[in-house]
Amino acid sequence: MLKLVAQQLRHQMRLISRASDVSYTKATASVTSGVSSSQEQQQSTQPPSIEVNKALEGWPEKLRKAGVGDIDFNLKCLVAHVLGRKFNTVKDYNNLLFTDTQMQNFERLCEARCARMPLQYILGEWDFMDLTLKTSPSVFIPRPETEEFVSKVIEVYRDVKEPIKMLEVGCGSGAMSLAILHALPNVQSTAIERGNAATELARENAKLVGLESRFIVYHHTMEEDKYLPSELANETYDLIIGNPPYVKSEEFPLLQPEVVCYENLNALDGGPDGLRVARLVFNLACKHLRPGGKLWLELGEDHPPLVQTIMDTQYEGRLRYIAGYKDQYKRNRFVEIEKPETAN
Amino acid sequence: MMLNKILARSTVHKIKCLLLSTQQPNQNRLFSFTAHRANKDTFNIDNEKTQKFLESIRLEFYNLRSNPTTQTLPRLNRLDGVVSALEQYRVLKSKFASKEDIDNEKDEEMRQLLMEENEVYGDLLRQTEEALLNQMLLLTEDQTFNSLIFEVNAGAGGQEAMLFARELFDMYTSYFDYNGWTFEIIDDGETDIGGLRHANVIVENRDAFHQLQYEAGVHRVQRVPATEKSGRIHTSTASVTVIPRPDDIEVNISEKDLKIETKRASGAGGQHVNTTDSAVRVVHLPTGLAVECQAERSQLKNRERALQRLHAKLVQRELESKEANEKRTRKSQQGNLNRNEKIRTYNFVQDRITDHRITNGTVHNLKEFLDGGEDLERLIQRVANEYRRAKLIDLINDFEALHGVTEKDSMKKANELI
Ligand SMILES: C[S@@+](CC[C@H](N)C(=O)[O-])C[C@H]1O[C@@H](n2cnc3c(N)ncnc32)[C@H](O)[C@@H]1O
Repeated sequence: MLKLVAQQLRHQMRLISRASDVSYTKATASVTSGVSSSQEQQQSTQPPSIEVNKALEGWPEKLRKAGVGDIDFNLKCLVAHVLGRKFNTVKDYNNLLFTDTQMQNFERLCEARCARMPLQYILGEWDFMDLTLKTSPSVFIPRPETEEFVSKVIEVYRDVKEPIKMLEVGCGSGAMSLAILHALPNVQSTAIERGNAATELARENAKLVGLESRFIVYHHTMEEDKYLPSELANETYDLIIGNPPYVKSEEFPLLQPEVVCYENLNALDGGPDGLRVARLVFNLACKHLRPGGKLWLELGEDHPPLVQTIMDTQYEGRLRYIAGYKDQYKRNRFVEIEKPETAN
Repeated sequence: MMLNKILARSTVHKIKCLLLSTQQPNQNRLFSFTAHRANKDTFNIDNEKTQKFLESIRLEFYNLRSNPTTQTLPRLNRLDGVVSALEQYRVLKSKFASKEDIDNEKDEEMRQLLMEENEVYGDLLRQTEEALLNQMLLLTEDQTFNSLIFEVNAGAGGQEAMLFARELFDMYTSYFDYNGWTFEIIDDGETDIGGLRHANVIVENRDAFHQLQYEAGVHRVQRVPATEKSGRIHTSTASVTVIPRPDDIEVNISEKDLKIETKRASGAGGQHVNTTDSAVRVVHLPTGLAVECQAERSQLKNRERALQRLHAKLVQRELESKEANEKRTRKSQQGNLNRNEKIRTYNFVQDRITDHRITNGTVHNLKEFLDGGEDLERLIQRVANEYRRAKLIDLINDFEALHGVTEKDSMKKANELI
């Protein structure tokens, strides 16, 4: 029921942003869809004449009314994007000018933001740790806490000299694997992902950061007894990581419009207790983790104690709960699980 | 015929050289034939006390080299440059025929030859002399620091001073880039008009202090501010401070002393919200120091940067208290670090920069200069050499005061004994 409402809302939002797309297309008589390409075309012909400070007028208020938070930051990201500059090179707006086309782009993007389209989708890219990765509509946008999770894993494996065979379950944009591969040259990562768009994006991002030789993505939906694609059926891994969907069904009404209207619900929906997909991962780990190998998962608040109980009662001798770790907001979020050396 | 003579002459010369270099205290000869050049200027390489000073450096070098330790290694490296330049200089000098030599030469053709040779050696000698001089000047930079804190503060002149402070700060960060030095901006307190009240940066390079120390002081700008309707020229200032960071200053931050705040502290987080709130504020509980960062889109990057800044701030605190202590005890050594000295004027109306510490200290083309490249480099070098020259003279005089007298005394005694 709630899902239905959410889906309707999402549909409406899509219409809004598409409507603004249409008006943009008309306004510029351009058929190109990408912002940057039309931007480049125009920059050479038009002198920049509109002060950015002027262009900004009225938008903070509109964004506030639309319920967008962190407005200054949002605007600065949008300005930098429209100007084709790196975010961290824009210090202030003094002496910055837009061309007419840039101005139109800017307004269109602000409009989309007012419709609560995630900033990361609007910009088409976002930073994750040391990497700038592409985003793509509906593909899950990596969260700041996931940076923490990944740093933790990197820290633990930093001193391992031997090759590490890693599996990621549900890689989305590829952020977690790519950040780890970027930091640790001895890791080789295989990922599975159920979404088509996400699979494509992960592969694209791997190429973008030049890590495609160590990252293989399979378009595959993990299911009971069909955890991995058939060609990987007999593989075992030293390390399995994942950020499985963990939002509880009852929590859906609490989600932000940015999340519920724009992100793929398959990336979020964790069933009644939020652990539906995580349970599949536990079973997968029993089969595909080498004895002594580790499973690291990012989960929701209060999941770790639950996971500990599940391990103790249902996976005795097969998996062992090692520890839960807190994120920067002091929420218990990350779990470390081991397959005992004695397991087979 | 001519060729024969040349060969003969140069062989003789070579032999002479060899003999001379084995003949131990040959410096006297070395000095005497250029005695006419060694005047009152203490700085002349050929004068006696400079040569004595250099000889002591040479001996120190060989002593250190025979038994180098980690403590003496930096000094050894420093002396190495001077000593190799010195030895090359001496070899060339010995090939140089003195005025007496030439006067005493009866053979006219031979005399001609000597003079020609001198011309060739003269060029080489001048080059070597310059190299030696540079090495000696560097000798005065006796303190080396791994890193330093470089600060710019807007001074008198309100908004205009802040705008100027911004320009100066940008000039210097470009200059750090130009030199390939690593640096980390600790604080870049932008004002809403685009100016700068205060900014500082940590520069991590062993050579940086040797150059930047001469930039410390008050910089003055004279121009018509953009906001000035009547076209009146304003004078405003900004000051530069350079605080060297000795190797022994170590700051350790422990995780438990930190409070890390982001804008979003409540709510479920994770997959439930899509947050771009990347701003991070880090509070160091024991000192109450707080730093904020939102320079990057990634929160983790902002946190790293905030921690780096915090680290730098703690180092700065440490340094300032250390410096305050030392200032009381060694006031005199402050010299060129005087922060209140007006060192340079940037006059936009006349498109000139004048450094008040050196003669002929005016250069033109402000735009280029403010790019923080070659032009700035050249001026800093001139100022630096001026200071180093003065220091070198002191160094040599101090050396003479210590050793010169005792040597004369011992000579006297030796004479008396005979
Ligand atoms: C919360 S997202 C995490 C994405 C990425 N790891 C990250 O942290 O940005 C979960 C991902 O798992 C994928 N997924 C969900 N169920 C899956 C399943 N049964 N098999 C494979 N992938 C699945 C979703 O499509 C989604 O991309």
